[in-house]
Amino acid sequence: MAGLRRLEVWRMRELINYAEALHLQSQLVERRRRGGADVLLSLQHPPTFTVGKRRTVHNMLASPQELHAIGAELHMTERGGDITYHGPGQPVLYPILGLREMRVGVRAYVEGLEDVMVEVCKMHGVDARGRMEKETGVWVQGLRKIGAIGVRVSSGSITSHGLAFNVDPNLAHFDHIVPCGIRDKEVTSLRKEVSPVVPDVEEVTEQLIQCLAKQFGFAAVVDMEPPSFS
Amino acid sequence: MALRSAAAQAATLLRLSGRPAVTQSLWVPLARRSISTTQFASDEVREGLHYAESHEWVKVEGDIGTIGVTDHAQMLLGELVFVELPDTGTSVTGAEKFGSVESVKAVSDIYSPISGEVVEINSTLSDSPETINSSPYDEGWLIKVKLSDKSQLKKLMDNKNYSELLTAEAAH
Repeated sequence: MAGLRRLEVWRMRELINYAEALHLQSQLVERRRRGGADVLLSLQHPPTFTVGKRRTVHNMLASPQELHAIGAELHMTERGGDITYHGPGQPVLYPILGLREMRVGVRAYVEGLEDVMVEVCKMHGVDARGRMEKETGVWVQGLRKIGAIGVRVSSGSITSHGLAFNVDPNLAHFDHIVPCGIRDKEVTSLRKEVSPVVPDVEEVTEQLIQCLAKQFGFAAVVDMEPPSFS
Repeated sequence: MALRSAAAQAATLLRLSGRPAVTQSLWVPLARRSISTTQFASDEVREGLHYAESHEWVKVEGDIGTIGVTDHAQMLLGELVFVELPDTGTSVTGAEKFGSVESVKAVSDIYSPISGEVVEINSTLSDSPETINSSPYDEGWLIKVKLSDKSQLKKLMDNKNYSELLTAEAAH
């Protein structure tokens, strides 16, 4: 299959704890570094707040007790970007791709991730944009953030972390942070934008996956059977 | 507990390195890649520097190497908002990560072209990381290293070879 670019898609059926997802990503990055496949991890996290490399913890407004009360964890990460929230109803995609082989630079990659979310919004009649200067992510009317990006490039040119798209998460959880360090704008979700229609999280997740594969020119999308658990 | 086991079992799957369980191949039409192309014609490549494939440069004066990222690198990265550099006195190793930069919500590792001891770092970058974008070969230098092994320079490229690399990378 020389020349045919192949993307392995791993759909995790259950909520994945953030630390476990980090561990899995580091293994997939190492596998990629040794010549393994480009992989797309598709999953959702239990309520989790994460902070990027710049350690902007000052944007966490809740005390450890408050976080504990809502059952949320806080993680420090090595990705770019500020503080954000992940939770059920928010599909998260972690592409583990070799940018050098793809001839894609970091900025172009991040713009591609924006375009994936913009495209999916469009499919639901929501006019969203990326390319907001200094405010990477996907915005509705430039005021309400619907999709977030935070990426790491390591081991040469291999990506990890990725994007998070608000289909129907608990938006109240975003009140515990200054999301992405931006005070004067809102966080929104697809559900809020297309109300009274209730979007199906699984369906939108599939759309994100297919749009990402197309965006980065993958000709063959191979579904990996996720491990089964008894 | 289901929460823990899902990813842990997936990680085990990697260690076992079995064949992928292909349940269904979805053939996405080979899409025309809508990837932004970089302006190679305007990439500056300076004479007198040594270049690494990972787009760092080193300028050697006596025992001291000044290291930075190339014009091509800063263009691939986008506007930088954060730079992480090692402390003076730490050692760096050729072809290994010595720091990182952040741009457009992406943290990228940077690799040292040579090995040695860090003798100076560019502290202006903590307030103005975008200097790397505007002046990658001059004001945007990253660290100065006392070289421990000058023979490593032979493994690096000169400006002509690096320019050829950029041309080759541009050809899809």
